[in-house]
Amino acid sequence: MPGADKEADLTERIEAFLADLKRGGCGTGPIRGSGETARETTALLRKVTAQARWSSAGDLMEIIRKEGRRMTAAQPSETTVGNMVLRVLKIIREEYARSRGSSEETDQQESLHKLLTSGGLSDENFRQHYVHLKANVIEAINELLTELEGTTDNIAMQALEHIHSNEVIMTVGRSRTVEAFLKDAARKRKFHVIVAECAPFCQGHEMATNLSKASIETTVIADAAIFAVMSRVNKVIIGTQTVLANGGLRAVNGTHTVALAARHHSTPLIVCAPMFKLSPQFPNEEDTFHKFVSPHEVLPFTEGEILSKVNVHCPVFDYVPPELITLFISNIGGNAPSYIYRLMSELYHPEDHDL
Amino acid sequence: MDKDELVEYFRTQVRQDPEVPSAVAAIRTLLEFLKRDQTGETILGLRENLTQTIRRLEEADSSVAVSSGGELFLRFISLTSLEHPDLSQCKKVMVERGELFLKKISLSRSKVAKLCHTFIKDGAKILTHSSSRVVLKVLESAAADKKRFTVYVTESQPDSAGRQMADKLQNLNIPVTVVLDAAVGYIMEKVDLVIVGAEGVVESGGIINKIGTYQLAVCSKAHNKPFYVVAESFKFVRLYPLNQQDVPERFKYKADTLKAVEDLAEEHPMIDYTPPSLITLLFTDLGVLTPSAVSDELIKLYL
Repeated sequence: MPGADKEADLTERIEAFLADLKRGGCGTGPIRGSGETARETTALLRKVTAQARWSSAGDLMEIIRKEGRRMTAAQPSETTVGNMVLRVLKIIREEYARSRGSSEETDQQESLHKLLTSGGLSDENFRQHYVHLKANVIEAINELLTELEGTTDNIAMQALEHIHSNEVIMTVGRSRTVEAFLKDAARKRKFHVIVAECAPFCQGHEMATNLSKASIETTVIADAAIFAVMSRVNKVIIGTQTVLANGGLRAVNGTHTVALAARHHSTPLIVCAPMFKLSPQFPNEEDTFHKFVSPHEVLPFTEGEILSKVNVHCPVFDYVPPELITLFISNIGGNAPSYIYRLMSELYHPEDHDL
Repeated sequence: MDKDELVEYFRTQVRQDPEVPSAVAAIRTLLEFLKRDQTGETILGLRENLTQTIRRLEEADSSVAVSSGGELFLRFISLTSLEHPDLSQCKKVMVERGELFLKKISLSRSKVAKLCHTFIKDGAKILTHSSSRVVLKVLESAAADKKRFTVYVTESQPDSAGRQMADKLQNLNIPVTVVLDAAVGYIMEKVDLVIVGAEGVVESGGIINKIGTYQLAVCSKAHNKPFYVVAESFKFVRLYPLNQQDVPERFKYKADTLKAVEDLAEEHPMIDYTPPSLITLLFTDLGVLTPSAVSDELIKLYL
């Protein structure tokens, strides 16, 4: 039967995605970039909306939440999956409110104003059925996908405002966003880039190769030399894995060192991060904040004698507190870290924060 | 309902239920006044009566919370009266909404506790200041969640409120130690996080709290320990102090002191102001806020 076939196809795609996620978080860096993960998640959620059986917005939200929980459980450190689920849930809420005809203001966050003026305890249970809801939601998800596809270009477009001629820029490891950012500025300006190699995976090497192919003067330094070189650096531009709700970062190991060195020399620290990396998590809240991979890169198994006497750790991420960051450049423009809470309230609904 | 009856009603509220926040008692008193008031003919007259009543209440209890509760109630009246220009209908709606508002904010302490207790990890050492009922609720729910932690409480002179907090914590079987106010710097290296309550949250995102909170915050900043504030949303006030001197005199001293003493320079202040740069996060019933988010909330309400 065609119906059952489509359902089986959907479950198969979800299972394949989950397996990919579980595998994808190994130490040599993500097999897929976070942009691709975000796009795949959204495409999958669109398929679920189109094919699953639901009659009201409440049912759809339940289904999406269930799938979301499974996906985030597969790889907790890949926060873009959870973020996309929250975006889709917010889209559903907005489309439902629009279909009901109520203004979008009424269904927003808790606020003192709402406490004082509401007439009754809101028992919004999303049970009403609207004919065009499905089409509207799918259209909105398509808009979201278009936005996701354009994020790197939107960020790179802002490069000329921030990078000037004859500047020395420092960056850490490899970030596709920062690479596009620097390449865009290199079309019109001449500047010098110093890349910290970011041991033990040394993704900085790949970054340096790519940048020099674009005719940018690049130097690779060891992580230990970061502080020594910092006095000659004009700006530090880095990417990140996640932007946390307080404006802090969860970035690749070694970023905190760069941030502290930059603070010491009063060098501005700019973070290039698209909006889909913004997560409602706070640091120290989850036990899944840190991720550790095989310590083989740090101390190979061939050094057998020492192995029995020492503990070897290889963490993947670093926490950078918001006080060390100067500016966030995202696809919607530049923002200060203290403004992150506002961007979050526009993207996600507070009731969805715990999936 | 004359002014003395009002103050008596307020005092009874506080006496009957020591757990009730003073702002809630103030709002309940004002709602009672609204119900019993027969003299008001116009909304403007009503507002004037209420303003006088609030001033009378502030004379009885000079804490920041009563002031913020009063201002919130006035704002509530203005917002409701905009929708219903007819006085008798307006009063009915006001009383209804007032009851609903009271019901919602009585749940706010539990909401705050639910948000905050996930930030307390197993084996944590917590430092707190003086006696705060919200902090007590937070620690209670963390303990109910089977987390193991120890608490250090500052003694908080001149009224030794810290000792009462320690007694309450001991009744909950939480290991607690009382430290001198002067020992905050000494103990800071041992603790993992600092949690304090607030009597008022000001527009900049800073807080007004029992004297000694400011030095606790400065110490925790110097040691890089997170400094968390737990407060319900009705404590947000429209003040913007830039330093300690900017905090109005009427909040700094107890109501009896203000009436009795001639030269306030001789008295010890009971509260101080902690600037937002020293605060890591604020836990409120509106969610987990960074200090910069507080002014947004106030703007949404008052402007």
